[in-house]
Amino acid sequence: MGLASASTATDGMQLCIFDLRRGQNEGQELDKILFFFPADLPFSTQLSVIGLSEGLITFTRIFSPEAACEIIEAERHSHVFYEAETDIWMVMVVEKGKDSDAIWRIDALRKVLKEVHSLFVMFYGSIRAMLEKDPSGGLIRSHLYPFIMDYLSDFPVGKKLQLPSFRDCLKERGTVQMLTMGREAAIEVQSLVSVLDSCAGNSSCYSMILFHDLLVSTTLSPDDTINLFTYAVLRLSPNALSSGVNSWSYIRRGSTSSHFVSGSALTHSGPVSEQIYHSSDTSPVGNNINRVTRALQHGKWYKGKDGFLVTDIWGVDVGSLVCATPTVWLQQTEEAMYLCPYQFKSLTLILLIPVSSILNGEQGVALVKQQLLENASLKILKVEEKLSKGWGGENAYHVSGYRYLLVDGDRNISRASPPGKVTTLAKESLLALSKLRDEVDLEKSRAKRDNAGCEKDLEVSIRAKNNAWAIARITGGKELYMVLEKASETLLYASDAVEKFSNRYCNGAFSLD
Amino acid sequence: MSGKASSSSQPSIGLSGSGALSHIYIQYPPLRCSIPESRGLHYDDGTKLLIPSTSNQIFSWKTVPFNPLATSTSDSIPEGPILSIRFSLDTKLIAIQRSSSEIQFWIRETSEAFSHRCRSDSENILGFFWTDCPLCDFVVVKNSGLDLFAYDSVAKSLDLVEMRKLNVCWYVYTHESRLVLLASGMQCRTFTGFQLSSAGIVRLPKFDMAMAKPEANSKPVLAAEDVYIVTVYGRIYCLQVDRVAMLLHSYRFYRDAVVQQGSLPIYSRKIAVSVVDNVLLVHQIDAKVVILYDIFADSRAPISAPLPLQSRGFPRSYSSSSRSSGKDGECSEVNNKIDHEGIIYGDNWTFIVPDLICDVSNNFLWKIHLDLEAIAASSSETPSVLEFLQRRKLEAIKAKQLCLGIARTVILERRPVSMVSKAIDVLVSSYSLSLKTGSYFKGIKTESTSSGVAKTSVARSSTDVSTSRIDGTSIRHESTAGVDSEYPSRASTFSASESEENASSAPLRTDSRDLQLGGGKVDRVNLTGAHSSGPTDNPVFVNISEQQDSELTSPAISPDEMYKFVFAAVEEEMVGDPSYLVSIIVEFLCSTNMEKIKVHPNLYVLAIQLLARNERYAELESFVTNKILEPSKEVALQLLESGRQNIQTRKLGLEMLRQLSLHHDYVSLLVQDGRYNEALRYARKYQVTTVRPALFLQAACSSNNSQHLAAVLRFFSDFIPDFRTTSDFTTYYGILNEMNTSVAATSF
Repeated sequence: MGLASASTATDGMQLCIFDLRRGQNEGQELDKILFFFPADLPFSTQLSVIGLSEGLITFTRIFSPEAACEIIEAERHSHVFYEAETDIWMVMVVEKGKDSDAIWRIDALRKVLKEVHSLFVMFYGSIRAMLEKDPSGGLIRSHLYPFIMDYLSDFPVGKKLQLPSFRDCLKERGTVQMLTMGREAAIEVQSLVSVLDSCAGNSSCYSMILFHDLLVSTTLSPDDTINLFTYAVLRLSPNALSSGVNSWSYIRRGSTSSHFVSGSALTHSGPVSEQIYHSSDTSPVGNNINRVTRALQHGKWYKGKDGFLVTDIWGVDVGSLVCATPTVWLQQTEEAMYLCPYQFKSLTLILLIPVSSILNGEQGVALVKQQLLENASLKILKVEEKLSKGWGGENAYHVSGYRYLLVDGDRNISRASPPGKVTTLAKESLLALSKLRDEVDLEKSRAKRDNAGCEKDLEVSIRAKNNAWAIARITGGKELYMVLEKASETLLYASDAVEKFSNRYCNGAFSLD
Repeated sequence: MSGKASSSSQPSIGLSGSGALSHIYIQYPPLRCSIPESRGLHYDDGTKLLIPSTSNQIFSWKTVPFNPLATSTSDSIPEGPILSIRFSLDTKLIAIQRSSSEIQFWIRETSEAFSHRCRSDSENILGFFWTDCPLCDFVVVKNSGLDLFAYDSVAKSLDLVEMRKLNVCWYVYTHESRLVLLASGMQCRTFTGFQLSSAGIVRLPKFDMAMAKPEANSKPVLAAEDVYIVTVYGRIYCLQVDRVAMLLHSYRFYRDAVVQQGSLPIYSRKIAVSVVDNVLLVHQIDAKVVILYDIFADSRAPISAPLPLQSRGFPRSYSSSSRSSGKDGECSEVNNKIDHEGIIYGDNWTFIVPDLICDVSNNFLWKIHLDLEAIAASSSETPSVLEFLQRRKLEAIKAKQLCLGIARTVILERRPVSMVSKAIDVLVSSYSLSLKTGSYFKGIKTESTSSGVAKTSVARSSTDVSTSRIDGTSIRHESTAGVDSEYPSRASTFSASESEENASSAPLRTDSRDLQLGGGKVDRVNLTGAHSSGPTDNPVFVNISEQQDSELTSPAISPDEMYKFVFAAVEEEMVGDPSYLVSIIVEFLCSTNMEKIKVHPNLYVLAIQLLARNERYAELESFVTNKILEPSKEVALQLLESGRQNIQTRKLGLEMLRQLSLHHDYVSLLVQDGRYNEALRYARKYQVTTVRPALFLQAACSSNNSQHLAAVLRFFSDFIPDFRTTSDFTTYYGILNEMNTSVAATSF
């Protein structure tokens, strides 16, 4: 495994995407590589990482054609595999135990791969489709590189990438967080939704409503909901907008990220990368045809006078100075949609209008926007007021004494203790839960393989070194993870505490008897 | 009319059909009160009797309830001139004005008479009326003021109770309002008012009416026929014609103030005013059209364009008609060859407040009706049409039907959601109001009792057929002391005035209660008392139901009816994308939630069906989790049903059953799903013993796992005392043994 150690230059993490169908002939191996991070690694190193992965995939497929290799655990590295599309693999290599925080939960890392791919598909369509459009691979490379770099720029702390570690074991990537509201507010919201969905006349629009960073309502399919929700929280919500604007605030999130990206950009101006990222570098700025839109670029969204959020990422019409409306692809309907976010105070509405229904481009979109303002303004005001009134603040879902994560796997919904509260936990507690979750993940995937469709109920409580309880319960597709640091007396006590929590906050869903 | 009933459900295109050319009509035949040798025709608004007279005989026709076939009663009275006639409120006495200074009283039972004369010759009697004011029974209006008398039935004389001295040029009085307005001054435009209600005498502040001057020096004089007292929604207004300005000024009476309320334009030198079901009709007689106003809100806009009054049911070529005129079958031929169009707004029409027209030359009495369908069809403003219909009380059933029809149509026509939402708001808030005021339940209750109680129906039929009319009237008058019987729309006036108090707080209202119809409070107590004391044969109650045109007193539509007659009906007819109907249901829930009204669970069931049909399962889930669709067994079962296509939805249904503690259903469904272990745990926890053990055993058996089957058998042996003796036990015990031996056999 000497190949992995060669990559120490960039702090341990490597991420690559390759296509098994390409470069099968000797001398064309480079063709396989669609993306490699860090880009400044010599090709020989890149190829050896990919070669190992490919070898393992081929080997494991002999035994399990459906689900090939998931992970390689080496002494100092973990290789996390994810087959994003048929024969298109993403592999992430992380270093283990180099510092105290480098303890990973594999499933969480795989969710990162899944997330970035889903987002990519939402904006550009599938990798395979793009490869078919441009078999040379130049097009896909020029899109993947800036996209993934922008995506990764959300992770750094200081100068390194902070991937989800054991400290994030009370979070679940790839789920949405819902706002809990009263019946009255829910009816108001629903009433607003029907106005939104009928904004563009007969063609059916979709809508999503967020309050702060929480989902209020969606008419999208579950998968599309997750993608759009993720994007909205990353770039569109009031929090995301303000962090983009105040890039010099104490968070320094924006500034470090830009540094991170530009640093990488410098590195790939070397002769090796130039070959791969050829098209992106040579295309003149402003030439819309060849220009690659950086959908995840930071700090590019801002709020217009009419309340709609606009961005110049998708280009600006030179004549009218109107920003082009972004488009996204819906997974379920495979339809291109215009993305029109609107913000009022803490309320973010995202309207998706079928591109096919708008004949005259930006003008048509502007018309629908106008329609929305006319029909829905009052309702938006009302909903915002109702939701603000019931809003419990950032720590609304904190339950004192508990640090929990509640996942509804069927609905892709999760709710967790606020991050600020999770940080008060001891490292040992988090490590214990992370480990427990690893085990549960394994158990879950095993159960899924063995008999699809049948749900497994599970209950595990373990005691950490610091006498905290780490608890996992799974029943009927719902998962509850919990750390109880103060329930140190007995297992009975701990299980009682879970029961109470279940009855009060989960409608008794976890009340086994 | 039957053709129009359907077209009226489409207000925008409803102008077809002849009926739409008018909004009010008079229905043929009229009440004919011709008698031989008629000398005069009088109307007594206290007892609502129409009284033609000869020199020594008077006849009286009841006009409420209006029945063209009603027969008259007659009284012989001493011969002499008759200036005016009024029956006492209990109809035992008849007061007849013989001259400007003498009133004669005729006691009907004993055929005795006594007279009342003015004290001085300078005094002129302007008029008189009977009253139910507790202080006095009889009021005489003279040019020198009011004299209030009490009737002494023993001494058979009038005792002077009180005198109010003031100069009076002329006066107007309606029994409906119990209000007498006395005009004084050079122009007769200064008014003093008294309300002689059963609550006592209220003196209103003096006020002047507005009159425009034609030129600098001339001063027009206001005449009695230019002033109308009308009662609308339980409020009392005075309408005054200003012929110079061509305006109809309106004044509203409060207990301590008279406030001018704005003016309506008039388009005719001669006008008349009627009120039908709280709708103000201003007849522009010269133009032969009528303009309708609904002065519930502050709006002074007419309901619709001026249209003529229509007469309906008129036989095209009738030349004569004969009928028995009540007395000894004596027949009188009425030859009438006038073209019926010609008689509309004839010169000899007298308008009697509130809603009667007297054709003096023919001795006809017409009652004015509103054509709700035509009114509804003439406006495209659906919400305001619905508001208007919801305020109608006289033809509550028709108004309700129209409302339901309109609601269905706007949904079927897929009008904009915002508009439909407004329409629904109107209906829901109207229902909520009727709940608060009790008129909704009253309607229901009346309906149910009138069908069930013999006496009620007898009383009603008696008035309809007029065979035992005296019976009916005696019940009425004895029981109600002449108050309730005056008001066919008693309930409506209260609900209207109450709603007004809730809705608006006009600045002037702060200091004063609305000047109500006489003794409103007392009456209300009466009414509610009648209900609470059980409706069986309470005469007051009989009286009410008899007076209502229909059993229904309020056109309010309950959520159940909304479901049954609007949503369910529309759902059957609707084609295409059901999401529109879902949005409408959401708007309805919005309204009901606002008014805190419970919704029929079937509506939720419908919503689930619609969402499931669209495969909008994710939204359905948010509907359920956010409790937009309130949990109930019906909802849970529908979720399970719709969950056949979507496992998540099924889970929601199961979850709801569990949360509703419907243990039996929950356990049975778990077993059905093959989750018998879970079901057993649950059954033990909640002591569910109603699910047959055989079901569990069967499920365990079909899993083909002998251990499971053994476990279930063991469970029931412990859980149910005598389980070991049942046939279930022996059957499955046998199966278990077989399983074990077969397992043993195969293992070899």
